[in-house]
Amino acid sequence: MSTGTFVLKNALRNKRRAGLCILSVAVSLFLFVTLLVALREITIPPEDVGAASRIIVRNKISLGTLLPARQRAVLERLPGVAAVTPFTWYGGKFRDEDATLFGQFAVDPLKLPVLLPEARVPPEQWAAFFKDRRACLVGKIVADQYHFQLGDRLPFTGTIWPCDLELRVAGIYEGTLDDRNVFFHHDYLNEAVGELNQVGTWWVKARSLDQMAEVVAEINHAFANTAAEVRAETERAFQMSMISMWGNIRILVRSICSVVVFTLVLVSASTMNMAVRERFRELAVLKALGFRRRQLFAFILAESFGLALAGALVGVGGAWFFYSHVSIARLTQGIFITFEVTPRILGQAWLIAVGLGIGASIAPAVAVARMSVVEGLKTLD
Amino acid sequence: MTLPLTYHVRNVFVRWRATLATVAGVALVVAVYVLVQSLAVGLEKSSRNTGDPRNVMIVRKGSTAESSSQVTREQLRLFKYWPQIARDEQDRPLASADVLVMLTRPRRGSEAEAHVLIRGVGAAGRALRPQVALVAGRWFVPGQREVVVSRRLAARIAAFDIGNTFKAAGRELAVVGWLEGQGSAFDSEVWMDGDEARRIFDREFYSSVLVRMRDERSAAAFLRRLEADKRLPLRGLRETDYYGAQTMTAVPIRILGGFLATAMSIGAVFAAMNTMYASVGARTREIGTLRVLGYRRRTILVSFLVEGGLLALLGGVLGCLLALPLHGYSTGTISLETFTETVFEFRLAPWLLAKGLAFSLLVGVAGSLLPALRAARLPVIAALQSV
Repeated sequence: MSTGTFVLKNALRNKRRAGLCILSVAVSLFLFVTLLVALREITIPPEDVGAASRIIVRNKISLGTLLPARQRAVLERLPGVAAVTPFTWYGGKFRDEDATLFGQFAVDPLKLPVLLPEARVPPEQWAAFFKDRRACLVGKIVADQYHFQLGDRLPFTGTIWPCDLELRVAGIYEGTLDDRNVFFHHDYLNEAVGELNQVGTWWVKARSLDQMAEVVAEINHAFANTAAEVRAETERAFQMSMISMWGNIRILVRSICSVVVFTLVLVSASTMNMAVRERFRELAVLKALGFRRRQLFAFILAESFGLALAGALVGVGGAWFFYSHVSIARLTQGIFITFEVTPRILGQAWLIAVGLGIGASIAPAVAVARMSVVEGLKTLD
Repeated sequence: MTLPLTYHVRNVFVRWRATLATVAGVALVVAVYVLVQSLAVGLEKSSRNTGDPRNVMIVRKGSTAESSSQVTREQLRLFKYWPQIARDEQDRPLASADVLVMLTRPRRGSEAEAHVLIRGVGAAGRALRPQVALVAGRWFVPGQREVVVSRRLAARIAAFDIGNTFKAAGRELAVVGWLEGQGSAFDSEVWMDGDEARRIFDREFYSSVLVRMRDERSAAAFLRRLEADKRLPLRGLRETDYYGAQTMTAVPIRILGGFLATAMSIGAVFAAMNTMYASVGARTREIGTLRVLGYRRRTILVSFLVEGGLLALLGGVLGCLLALPLHGYSTGTISLETFTETVFEFRLAPWLLAKGLAFSLLVGVAGSLLPALRAARLPVIAALQSV
């Protein structure tokens, strides 16, 4: 019998215990991965290609206060600015839905290809979108979900804006980070609301990445001490600011993560302990036969390691499989959208499994190393 | 013939090393479950605490929250003097036209930011919301650019101490007092004079109007009349109903709680099962002896179930004790209705603790069912012969 088979036989001697141990590790790691993915989704904004050179301008009071449309002319004249579009959240309810899970944004259609270069739209659909005031571009995910066809009419009820809209699908875009929005003409919104001439935010594209900081400063300066002071920042900074709004929920999820890991270590360590204590006598016999402490430790370590990694395979693999095949958006009523299990999170979970394998074997190994052969042979339990 | 309870209790403690891990595991599971649920309870309680059954709130038709609604001054004039609205001593209608403005503010002691809800209250605003009381400083004087902030919000947002000033829309606003709203949604707000707020934040419209009804009958009549009036694209609803429906923020927390409870309890069941199997394995001879003494299979089965239940219940009690210190601890997150910082408390209601204990008991019984069955089925002779 080789050492490998010896370890394997030992691990599987009590199949039920091995199974339970693997499953409890698996469940905990599944939970751990889930929490990390959720945390990532609410704390780390996704990075996308176009974001680097975009600047978002909002009212200094807050996002909830609108900006006057006349600011556009000033923005466009600033030297480092390549393009400007209004970007206004309409936030309507689609048909009779209680909660609409996709965003609707009013933009300047002609500037959209510049501001959102990553969006892929066939040229004839761009043209159709430009031409019709009531046209809209729909993200592929939404289009697929609702089975929208080109030419479909989409009715929206305004929850924030006191006007209802009817948009016509002119094109379908894909390739952006979140193909889950509807873009339509700002002119149409302005007309429907009765020429308020106000916008939610401005999206500004800088001529080059080097000029970003300069352009941000220019914009902030241009409207200082005016009736509508603005706050310009890079898209990344804007997203980080939005995320800090989550407040203590992040700390909560993070502490739950640590509790889960702690519980996991506790339970698995106790299982390992049980397994080793059960064969104290046997290990004493091995010792009497001349096996070294180091070798005994290796047996225990290998067994514990094997159980932990098997658990990780089931738990982490299961989580990865589950979240890449199940629509989390529908399951959580749209609160989580991408729920992507990143390689980094997978790595972290595996690292914990490895640590667990080592950690759980320490206490029993020490106990075995310390025991005298006679004492071990006398053990009954 | 049943086994005495002390037998079970002693059995739980005799193998304390193996038991300890399981008890601790169950304790943590219960603590997490109770705490997450207590957050949802706290959030919902703060919504439920808010309305007054005598009040009716008027918002724009189609708006989902007070903060995204608009009521024009002309509209207000049209319904303000309807006879169903109660009057004060000077015979003025008890109505408060409020303006809600979201303001971005840095959090206390960090780079992070929060949206804070500023409520510009109308003349009768305070009288209509008697649960809001001043706890420090004084009330604002209209026209003096003064605000009163919630004491709980002040603990979370920078420069919200009495005497501080902060900049909003280019003006300096002075904090002159702290308010407390008895655990209502007003505990997440900053109050100032309504018309002053409209001027400073350049708002043409009011956001919502709150009115006091003369009595129950006039409330129903008022709501009917408002609905029927074609000039008013407004929706009236009882204040209690409005706040009762503001529970969207609790949804993700409930989902999180439910998910955690399910996943963690599966893990805990496995742990309990392991411990109980080990216990059965170690006591094979003892079980055989009990059987020889005349104890029946059923008794053995119940005995192990009781033991597992006790073990887990111990964990449950421990978990509740672990969670208890957080009761009343104030925390905050972004509200999914108003998109502003909402402050609420961990609320460990007695029924929640009971639920936690029941939950732990369930884990224990579920975990010990298979081991107990195994113990009950042990053949007597073989059990006696085992080492």
